[in-house]
Amino acid sequence: MSIDVYWRIGTHGDQPSLRRRVSSRGGWAPVGPGSLAPGLRDGRPDGYSHVEHMGDVARASESAGFVGGLLPSFPFTDDPWSAAATLARETSTYRFMIAFQPGFLHPVQAARMSASLQRATGGRVVYNIISGGGGPQQLWWGDKVDHDDRYARTSEFLDVLRGVWSAEPYRHKGRFYQVDGAALPEELAAQPFPEIYFSGSSKAAIDAAGRHADYYLSWLEPFGPLAEKFAQVREASDRDPRFAVRIDVVARESEEEAWDEIRRGWDNIDPSVLRDATGDSIGWQRSRSFVTGKVTGHRDLEVEPNVWGGFHLLRGGPAFGLVGSYQQVAQRLDELIELGVGSFILAGVPHLEEAYRVGENVLPLLKRSTS
Amino acid sequence: MAVEFHITLPTRARRRRPFPEHLTDPARPVLGHAPADPYDHIAQVARAAELAGLSGAVVPFDPDGEESFIVAGGVLRRSRHLRVAAEFHPAIATPVYAAKLSVSLARFSGDRLDWKLGDLDPLTARAHGDFLDGPERHRRAAEFLTIAKGVWSQSGFTYEGRHFQVLEGGFASVLDDGVPSPLGGRPFPRVHLSGTSPEELDLSAEHAEVHLFDPWDDIESAVERLPGLKYGVRLRVAAREDAAEARDLEGDLVGSYDNVAAGIREFVSRGVTIFHLEATPHLEETYRIGEHLLPLLTKESADVH
Repeated sequence: MSIDVYWRIGTHGDQPSLRRRVSSRGGWAPVGPGSLAPGLRDGRPDGYSHVEHMGDVARASESAGFVGGLLPSFPFTDDPWSAAATLARETSTYRFMIAFQPGFLHPVQAARMSASLQRATGGRVVYNIISGGGGPQQLWWGDKVDHDDRYARTSEFLDVLRGVWSAEPYRHKGRFYQVDGAALPEELAAQPFPEIYFSGSSKAAIDAAGRHADYYLSWLEPFGPLAEKFAQVREASDRDPRFAVRIDVVARESEEEAWDEIRRGWDNIDPSVLRDATGDSIGWQRSRSFVTGKVTGHRDLEVEPNVWGGFHLLRGGPAFGLVGSYQQVAQRLDELIELGVGSFILAGVPHLEEAYRVGENVLPLLKRSTS
Repeated sequence: MAVEFHITLPTRARRRRPFPEHLTDPARPVLGHAPADPYDHIAQVARAAELAGLSGAVVPFDPDGEESFIVAGGVLRRSRHLRVAAEFHPAIATPVYAAKLSVSLARFSGDRLDWKLGDLDPLTARAHGDFLDGPERHRRAAEFLTIAKGVWSQSGFTYEGRHFQVLEGGFASVLDDGVPSPLGGRPFPRVHLSGTSPEELDLSAEHAEVHLFDPWDDIESAVERLPGLKYGVRLRVAAREDAAEARDLEGDLVGSYDNVAAGIREFVSRGVTIFHLEATPHLEETYRIGEHLLPLLTKESADVH
């Protein structure tokens, strides 16, 4: 089966590089000289917004050969549905992978929004279903359902979503949702149901993924633990599951250049961040759990060849990514394909320029064909 | 007070019959792909409203058509000046998420998104997963708007309602590096509510910026309970060169351009400043309104353009 390679569209702006953790794109820092979308013109805000930059990243990664882009969703980000609805007509083949938590929308509304967006894009909507971990973060969203129940709800939500996706009246009475006579208008019901990328590492998540996922999506981890996670999902699945991995990439002509880019970022990290990094950052704890020994330099977080666990220190997001020459990064991606990975969501900072770099220099080197 | 005219957008495709075989038909399926989707048509009507100098466009909640937030996103993207009111009901999402969707659309459009909160008849409500009956529906709408406005403008916002809740939420937060979140500090969408029952008027008095009437409502009695709001009316209009030409048309206001303009002035004299106009076929009638009707109402709509 052909392998889908996605890029990521940042929903909370971007930095000009990994060298300094300073946001300049999309308005996540005070607007001043050097800011883009919004920027200044004649000393005043130029009226552009983050969506202009997101559109640029979408068009760049479409040109560079990516099949689509993941639009993440967090409390401090712009919203993926709104971004996709706004940019629907500005690319032609590019798929919008919308991250969302089922509890926030009613499944009938989710079906109506999805089918409408399928129509507006010509069938280019993909779901990244996240169920969330519970605790204060969920209550920020106004969601009280606790962790294991959340996966039960996700399962029921997806059942109702599929049930509603028809012109025939649908009836359902479950634990979380009840509908009577739900249906989509005929032309919306005829739209393809979006592919589902399903995230979550707990047992409850893996059980739910087994029923609903087209792809089980994980952040990059060292290849051993990743293979173990895949084995657990295979065990919980009735059908043969497919796997996707979300990976940050720093790829350069030579390995030295790539590590030099990381070193420059590392040298600019506030020392107190490194000293206090035993705190509550899950990304850090997770990355440290794979690191043996004392961390004195950036290469100490290279837990296996080209797999580096310090990305969360250089930009917001997960810890692990690939660092190396174009050839090395392509080889690691090939190895992941050997482990059963059928789709990638790649990312690099800055997303616009790195989309071209990775599309032009890394993807053509993969041994197996990509779609 | 300046009068505003808003056009009601279509939410379904415009149909035409296929051409006979010997004519080239750009819509004839090629390789099995039929390019029939309504989004270009909807955007075209919105652009017509923009070119014709209207103040805004309304995206109706239509169970048999496209979803209103998705339509609004596309319309906002393809216009510069129009205010776009998306109609929905409070059971579609948590209020936090409805606000979250909306704050992005507001950011992307220079704060041109408005809300039109509707109610559903019981049958439609149940088909949309909403089984709540009676006055509790108004209470839920009030909670929905309280939370949506709270998270929109505050941080650390907590509210425990019967239907919705939020703990320490809000978009006006400070990011890790001490910078205020760009999601905060924006004007809340203008809220349109409607209805003439005491509960509906109370809800409107507390939460609406615009109260919308039907043309046959007792507007004078209702506005006594709605001090400080703007008053709007939904009107189906059909205007032509002269009354004879308009004779067979349907609408709340039918007649010559002068007759229809007089009818609108009548509403203005009763305190109405917001007109949600409905006219079909959408595109042609929007141009017609812009070219023939609005010029007769320049005095009323001064300050708007």
